[in-house]
Amino acid sequence: MSGTLKKTLTHVGISLVLLLNVLPLLIALSSSFRSVKNMTNPLQLFSEFSLESYRVAFTKMHFMQALGNSLMLTIISVVVVVLFTSMAAYPIARINNRLSKVLYLFFLCGLVVPSQMVIIPIVQTIQGLHIPSSQYTPILMFITCSIPFSSFLYTGFIKSSIPIEVEESALIDGAGLLRRFWQIVFPLLLPVTVSVVITQGVWIWNDYFFNMIFISKAAESPLPLAMLGFMGDQTNPTAWNVLFAACFLCALPLLVIFAFLQKYFIGGLTVGSVKG
Amino acid sequence: MNSAVLKKTMYWFVVPALTMYLVFWIYPILRLFQYSFSDYNGFVQDFNYVGFDNFSQIFKDGVAGTSLTNTLIYTLVFVVFSNLIALGLAFLLNMKIRATGLYRTAAYVPTLFSAIVVGFIWSYVYMPDSGLIATVLSWFGFDGANLNLLGNYDSALYAITTVDIWKHIGTSTVIFLAGLQTVPVDLEEAGKIDGANAWKITRFIRLPLLATSITINLTLSVINGLKAFDYSFIMTNGGPGRATSTLLFEIFRMAFREQQYGKASALAVISFALIIVITSFFVLKLNKREVSA
Repeated sequence: MSGTLKKTLTHVGISLVLLLNVLPLLIALSSSFRSVKNMTNPLQLFSEFSLESYRVAFTKMHFMQALGNSLMLTIISVVVVVLFTSMAAYPIARINNRLSKVLYLFFLCGLVVPSQMVIIPIVQTIQGLHIPSSQYTPILMFITCSIPFSSFLYTGFIKSSIPIEVEESALIDGAGLLRRFWQIVFPLLLPVTVSVVITQGVWIWNDYFFNMIFISKAAESPLPLAMLGFMGDQTNPTAWNVLFAACFLCALPLLVIFAFLQKYFIGGLTVGSVKG
Repeated sequence: MNSAVLKKTMYWFVVPALTMYLVFWIYPILRLFQYSFSDYNGFVQDFNYVGFDNFSQIFKDGVAGTSLTNTLIYTLVFVVFSNLIALGLAFLLNMKIRATGLYRTAAYVPTLFSAIVVGFIWSYVYMPDSGLIATVLSWFGFDGANLNLLGNYDSALYAITTVDIWKHIGTSTVIFLAGLQTVPVDLEEAGKIDGANAWKITRFIRLPLLATSITINLTLSVINGLKAFDYSFIMTNGGPGRATSTLLFEIFRMAFREQQYGKASALAVISFALIIVITSFFVLKLNKREVSA
């Protein structure tokens, strides 16, 4: 009997913690489904269901345009990150000499220093190379900032899980270095690739900092940057319903993907980080 | 070593990533040190070297001291609470009960939202008068109207740290859970047979085996705390006064709003040194404590 009681208590405990956890989101969600003028107590959850606030937010943030920009930034960045970092990890993991060790540590150092801190000379460097400030400029930074973490994951995985023997047999069959990597090693790296796509993809999708620095035109803004247009509304209670609707529009694409690929999101965090 | 398989030509594979890394990361860091000793303002390309003037100035006018203190308080509060709550939650979710999947999802969802969105939603939570906390307090007969957590000098920093903790818990919990799942059941049972109570099993079996995930979580949360910027920028604009002005926020403000690139670079160099020292201390100290099952 005490076992059942303990379980019930555990459930109650967890539920309470998590209710507190999602409460702000629930209230925001319920408010976003109200009409623009409905200012009654926001704590009456889901008392009304109207899409008016969403309509207003949708046009105000140019949702379709911003969504397209977000998709483009994220997809291009993530594809390049996967190609560059898996390639870089290959010799570092395979060849066991001082150069590999130095490169490994060299890349790892980048994990520690936040990129925002170096933003001044980065902006200068990009201007100095005569790279125009366009909607593609942030991609350079997204790729660069993803290099340390992603190459670290790939290196660990090649070392621990991809035996050299699979490559030796390919060599006997006469496959060159490029074919060996792309046809044999790279497909075996799939678990890490999933993890890199998800962790870096979520970060890039949600980032506003580099976009804010490099993108000046409203038509080129990705979703989080389009949200900055609502900045003045956060202390204005009469604008809440629309603001919350904009918040959920901004988060919606990622929440939908998460709903379908939950397993990979949660598993992707722990690949290469926790043994087992 | 099979030299036919492992030719040195493999190193060509490193070139694309290394090029990006050198051009957009290492070179700018070197430039940062150069700027910090100059009166560079971002426009005029011929600047003068002013020695340690930038450094002494930001210490003299209190900018460095305030933002350093704020960042360290933020980091300490963030690291302690996000890890303790996540560890407790992970222990609860690791029990053999139903619906853990649902619970895990609920814990993880906040991590998917952009900092901008999180900042907006929590601005409502903290809002005086009609915000979430104020409303709940008025129900219980307290005076919620005048409680302005973000506008109050003493509470603003803790208020924005809470937001970051809230967003981060899901990530830490998932990493702790993965660590807990590597604890072999037979070890726990052996402990029980030897007469260890629940606390002792946790203390002497689970926690040592969790060392890896504790290291990861502590390191990640320290790095995250030291680069606090988002909520100062979105929710309080560094205010009231300089109460929520963190190192990164101050660097950003000096560079992009006041065009004082030299001073901002000097503060960045100080932050750089601080982050290197704290992180290496953590990594070296914690790596010694790891054991494997």
